[in-house]
Amino acid sequence: MTQPKRSLIERLATSLKIIPELDNQDLAYGPQEMQTVDLQRFPPMEQWDDWFEYDPHAWPVREKKNYAIVPTTCFNCESACGLVGYVDKETMEVRKFEGNPFHPGSRGRNCAKGPATINQIKDTDRILYPLKRDGERGSGKWKRISWDEVISELGDRIGNALHEERHNEVVYHVGRPGHEGYTNRVLKAWGVDGHNSHTNICSAGARFGYALWHGYDRPSPDHANARFILLVSAHLESGHYFNPHAQRIIEGMMDGAELAVLDPRLSNTASAADYWMPTQPGSEAAVLLAIAAEILRDGTYNEAWMKQWVNWRDYLTARGHAGPHEFSQFIEALKKEYAEYTPEFAEQESGVSAQMVRQVAKRIGAAGDRLATHNWRSASSGNLGGWAVSRTLHFLNVLTGSVGTVGGTSPSGWNKFKPNFFDDPPAVKFWNQMHFPNEYPLSHYELSFLLPHFLKEGRGKIDTYFTRVFNPVWSYPDGFSWIDVLSDEEKIGCHIAMTPTWNETAYFADYVLPMGHASERHDLNSYETHSGLWIAFRQPILREAARRAGKEVEFTYEVNPGEVWEEDEFWLELSWAIDKNNDLGIRKHFMSPYREGEKINIDEYYRYIFEKTPGLKAKAAEHDLEPLEYMRRFGAFEVEKKSYAKHLQEIPGDELQGAQTDADTGSVSQQGEIIGVSIDGVPRRGFPTPSKKQEFFSKTMTDWGWPEFEIPTYIKSHVHPENIDPQKNEYVLLPTYRLPTLIHSRSGNAKWLAEISNQNPVWIHTSDAKTQGVVTGDLVRITTEIGFFVDRIWVTEAIKPGIVACSHHLGRWRREQDPKANRWASNTVEINKSDDGVWSMRRKGNIEGYQSGDADSSRIFWSDGGVHQNLTFPVHPDPISGMHCWHQKVTVTKAHADDRHGDVEVDTKKSMAVYRKWLEMTRPAPGPNGLRRPLWMNRPLRPETELFYIES
Amino acid sequence: MTNFGFIIDNRRCIGCHACTVACKSEHEVAVGVNRTWVKYIEKGQFPQSRRLFSVMRCNHCDDAPCVEICPVTALFRREDGIVDFDNRRCIGCKACMQACPYDALYIDPNTHTAAKCNYCAHRIDIGLEPACVNVCPTQAIISGDLDDPNSRISQLKSREVVTVRKPEKATKPALFYIEGDRASLEPTATEPIGQSMWSHQTSGVGHYASYVEKRVAAKAKSNGSHQVADTPAENHTDHPLDQLHGMLDLGDRSDGVLNPRPGDKKHVESTQAVEKELARRAYDAPNKGILWGWQVSAYVWTKAIAAGVGLVASVAAISGLATVTPAVQWLTIAVALAFMAITGYLLTIDLDQPKRFLYVILRPQWRSWLVRGAYIISIYSLLLVMWPVLGLLNDFQIPKWFWWPLAIFSGLTAVYTAFLFAQAKGRDFWQSPLLSVHMLLHSGIAGAAIFAITLPLLNDASWQAFIPKMLMGLLVTKLIVDWFELASTHATADAKQTVHQITKGSFARMYWLGVVLLGCLIPIIGLATLPPLVIPICGFISLVGLYLAEHIWVRAPQQIPLS
Repeated sequence: MTQPKRSLIERLATSLKIIPELDNQDLAYGPQEMQTVDLQRFPPMEQWDDWFEYDPHAWPVREKKNYAIVPTTCFNCESACGLVGYVDKETMEVRKFEGNPFHPGSRGRNCAKGPATINQIKDTDRILYPLKRDGERGSGKWKRISWDEVISELGDRIGNALHEERHNEVVYHVGRPGHEGYTNRVLKAWGVDGHNSHTNICSAGARFGYALWHGYDRPSPDHANARFILLVSAHLESGHYFNPHAQRIIEGMMDGAELAVLDPRLSNTASAADYWMPTQPGSEAAVLLAIAAEILRDGTYNEAWMKQWVNWRDYLTARGHAGPHEFSQFIEALKKEYAEYTPEFAEQESGVSAQMVRQVAKRIGAAGDRLATHNWRSASSGNLGGWAVSRTLHFLNVLTGSVGTVGGTSPSGWNKFKPNFFDDPPAVKFWNQMHFPNEYPLSHYELSFLLPHFLKEGRGKIDTYFTRVFNPVWSYPDGFSWIDVLSDEEKIGCHIAMTPTWNETAYFADYVLPMGHASERHDLNSYETHSGLWIAFRQPILREAARRAGKEVEFTYEVNPGEVWEEDEFWLELSWAIDKNNDLGIRKHFMSPYREGEKINIDEYYRYIFEKTPGLKAKAAEHDLEPLEYMRRFGAFEVEKKSYAKHLQEIPGDELQGAQTDADTGSVSQQGEIIGVSIDGVPRRGFPTPSKKQEFFSKTMTDWGWPEFEIPTYIKSHVHPENIDPQKNEYVLLPTYRLPTLIHSRSGNAKWLAEISNQNPVWIHTSDAKTQGVVTGDLVRITTEIGFFVDRIWVTEAIKPGIVACSHHLGRWRREQDPKANRWASNTVEINKSDDGVWSMRRKGNIEGYQSGDADSSRIFWSDGGVHQNLTFPVHPDPISGMHCWHQKVTVTKAHADDRHGDVEVDTKKSMAVYRKWLEMTRPAPGPNGLRRPLWMNRPLRPETELFYIES
Repeated sequence: MTNFGFIIDNRRCIGCHACTVACKSEHEVAVGVNRTWVKYIEKGQFPQSRRLFSVMRCNHCDDAPCVEICPVTALFRREDGIVDFDNRRCIGCKACMQACPYDALYIDPNTHTAAKCNYCAHRIDIGLEPACVNVCPTQAIISGDLDDPNSRISQLKSREVVTVRKPEKATKPALFYIEGDRASLEPTATEPIGQSMWSHQTSGVGHYASYVEKRVAAKAKSNGSHQVADTPAENHTDHPLDQLHGMLDLGDRSDGVLNPRPGDKKHVESTQAVEKELARRAYDAPNKGILWGWQVSAYVWTKAIAAGVGLVASVAAISGLATVTPAVQWLTIAVALAFMAITGYLLTIDLDQPKRFLYVILRPQWRSWLVRGAYIISIYSLLLVMWPVLGLLNDFQIPKWFWWPLAIFSGLTAVYTAFLFAQAKGRDFWQSPLLSVHMLLHSGIAGAAIFAITLPLLNDASWQAFIPKMLMGLLVTKLIVDWFELASTHATADAKQTVHQITKGSFARMYWLGVVLLGCLIPIIGLATLPPLVIPICGFISLVGLYLAEHIWVRAPQQIPLS
């Protein structure tokens, strides 16, 4: 180390003590004597228990700090990237989060939201104790209660409902699950069909399109090895699974892959693309079919693969071609079927040039079976018939034979781990029609966003309603209808908000139960981030640090800030309390597999899963550890390094009793049901569809009253140009796009994210701005079918003319009576409802600095937290997938004289009318044999088979 | 020897801001300021438009201007190439923030000292990568030893085409961009913005965070625990911008948002610029504001007066053009000492660490003109104190030798700021060789103006004749020098833009009416044509003009964005 040279004057002055001596400490004025400059990314694992590093605040004085490094996973988006928390061993506080190098999905890297977890832990406004309302619901009056009281009061309540056979009145509505099957198991143990999710305001559209093809409802692209990457998504900035996918997309691109992105808005992803295809919203399927048709015309399809794995014979049969069938017949039929989908047609529908469509088709053809594709939300979540987007996108994978290949696209299930539980309760014996109503027999996941409308129609009531990391008042369309029903105790008897942070829905709860952030809870994670299979362990790091320090902890809230708890332990205790007389048959599903006759604890729950995870025991043994201990220390485990072509899995002989093989189709059948596909005489498992093949032809669609959609088609959106009149200032609003820095309404408590992103102006193209006579910063009124909102405008070349866009995430609010929450990101508003049912919201105060334990809270340099647009959207349930079709036809006008920034007005009577209009588009059950739903189509918490029949 | 540097690989960067936040986390950087950030620009017309990302941060220059200008060695370059800082020494003079051409430094509102990216030296020293390198999802930030031919960074640097920001500054930056884009890397290629595609700024940050903090504290005190704003959103009577106004010079504030409004002249200009360039900023870190504010312009002005009277008196004495009577001497001493005291006061209050003001003298970093200036000022002040002693001893027949050191140190006092400003490498306009002439002239004018104002008190024929001529001559010279400065071709875009701001932009009215007309032409005409009665008035208004000129010369260059 070089000692700093100081002037004579300074030496004199310090020795005379006129100024303090600053050089008498261990100073880093030069590099330490380092043997090598090969920098390491992470502290060596052996030192994680007792890691020393220098305090950057004292620097360049070398002051050592001592940390325990404990792995967990991020709980911001769904990706569950690996994190390690640095626990200061002196104060036992978390200092910071970095990536976990042992996590196979994130590989030690994170997006902005990972390190920002520390903001959420130290949130000045966080909920530290269980609260019960102390006034009218929504009055903003709360009192602290104990966890024991919560457990006993809710246990009694649910116990009563179950004793009285009101099983369908007990509902758990989840936003971010963040675990593998934990709560579903609990609900099954309770015997309630009480699972409701957020899926059909999110991904149900795309899921349905994928599920039709091959049963699996998500893609798992192998970006890193692809030659061509085609995205109807923005995976370089958002989506499942942003960070892991972005890593691999860039890896693939650096390795020569080309990227094409369909998006009307120049996302950061589109900007990185070789081919940005700015499609007219809703025209994506037309473009994809034109590409498919080009591939057929060019002859670049993968004949060998298609011949084996597509149910083309079923298609030919249905089209009246008598057998025996030739594959060439199929190709000829396809060419005819899609003859109208020329690049010129695609251009006419989408605005993307025919030349680019041709070029992309050529490049995809050249990439062959190394085509990685993804459709996550985006067009499939925006449009009526959006599910046709993923269906037509996957069509390209089928054509190129890139399903399950290296560099291709696998089904999600191949890359996602399913844990073995210590106890598997039987399927439930109820069918909750508020979740799966007969109007939507094919809906993918629950019709969750119609819950207020169903309640208003009197389809049922809810006795006990858990919302968990779920904020429908804010995140869902038609939030005022949610406020309507959440405020009505006749409709919802008791609302329990389980959340790590205050949100707009929790304001209307009876109980607010603080649940931990990423590092304050247990969860098991596994996601299809790439070809491979991994599990990761989210754990309360202070509990683990305490354990390493020799301190035993019974419940996680003992070590978390305040009394912040976690769902896992809460459900154990609550389940026990519900069945307090042990007469509901619930307790038996919560018994320790290790201690006879005793209640299971959280360690045992995970110990069991890890002990049953293939390969984990051996891996742990290499480190002289038990599986649970291994996961506590490493935080993740790679179950499979590569997972390709799992459809080729052989069916073992003992499963083939009485099976027959159809010589023509190769289908292996057993008792009238196809169980596999014979390839060169070997029976293979294939895909979980009725034909066990890729279902180009879906008999299910015909059976359930949608013959026009039995093969991949283009469906015109509700915002198709035919329905938009530019002369009347009508535009299509894209309201769903995400920013790389925020996550729904859960990041409002993260100061470092809020300072980067804090408003959501409406994007408009330069030419449209000129027509409207507006410039950046002007206030505009955006009018929807049911109301309007007032926001600023952002004029840009990064959006298609005729389209406006407004980012999701922003526009958080609280009323004056509500707790001070998320003050980095929420405006104070006044909400009123007129006598004739018109709701209005007006800002009372902007975001502004405040005093707290964190000096940064008085340095807030922004003042506008954005505008809450979702309130003004009516529900648009797709009649088939049940997906809420987010895109809105809106009118854009200059703000009226008395409009103020952030104003919102909505007539919920109109929103009921729009709901009914969309409901009329459905073709309700029963389907064949009196079914509510095709038996082969999965649903969460699948009840007993007999419940699938309406008669039951 | 190790030489650490960075490569930012724009083929990989996805603009996710993970580096920004990981850095915040590692160093617990205050809200509002950044050690690293990602600038977004958009260029091209739909559908050929594109968004480009640039990671901005300290360039760890081989020849770091911040190290050279730092008066107290708070900033230093380690042997391994890392430019690090020791905030225990920092006095908060903000000179580094003027010197750095890359906008890398900020005032940490927690410590009130300068800070910046230090390459995570505290991690490097235990063998770990910087936090930003670690977090980056796409491995777009590459660290390593630029002098090791086998390191990944030097191999990448050899193989790929790399660019640096502002090579013309000759700072030898150690941060290289692969696919660095001109419109992103050159600050003047795009207009600064107050609103971006997803953010905006309505209050000051860093050095200016204290204003917001004070207001929050006051509000908390007056409201008790009730902190909800009661003013409607569109009616900001107590808006942060009231504090910001004039500090950031970012645009209109009537509705509480910094972005320009329709009809606003600046807005029209910027819209035209956008249309011409087809490049605009879409996201940027908060504007840190004008760091050298009125205290600095005022100090330059008071110092000009303090030095000017000494200069005029000594020139008169040496040249014999006028008699330096005891009255003149007393006046000179009194004015010079008084204004020197004000100067010292202004210099101190401008520091973010005013209690450490003595460090400039006692922890000197000799290459810094702040230190050299402090010593010059001290010696000049010492001469001023010696003067009455000498005078009283000799019945105000000052020995001839005394005038020489007085002339030299008053002249140096007048001029050294030009050398300091020249060390502020970030500000192109201050790099002008004419700046020292300008400073000297201003001092002369200030001195002459003071004598002009006090002329009735002096009652000496030689002064009565000397001062008006001198003042007039200096004012004419100033006009000529200004003309040279503003009419000659400046080499860089920054300097050109500054000139534009002065002559045609936001300072035009102040410059033409205040400096040229009021400060020069009217006094010149007055002195040339009107009776001697107006001389004090001419002196006074030329002093006013001088203040305005200092204000413009200090402020205008700081309006040009550095990043």
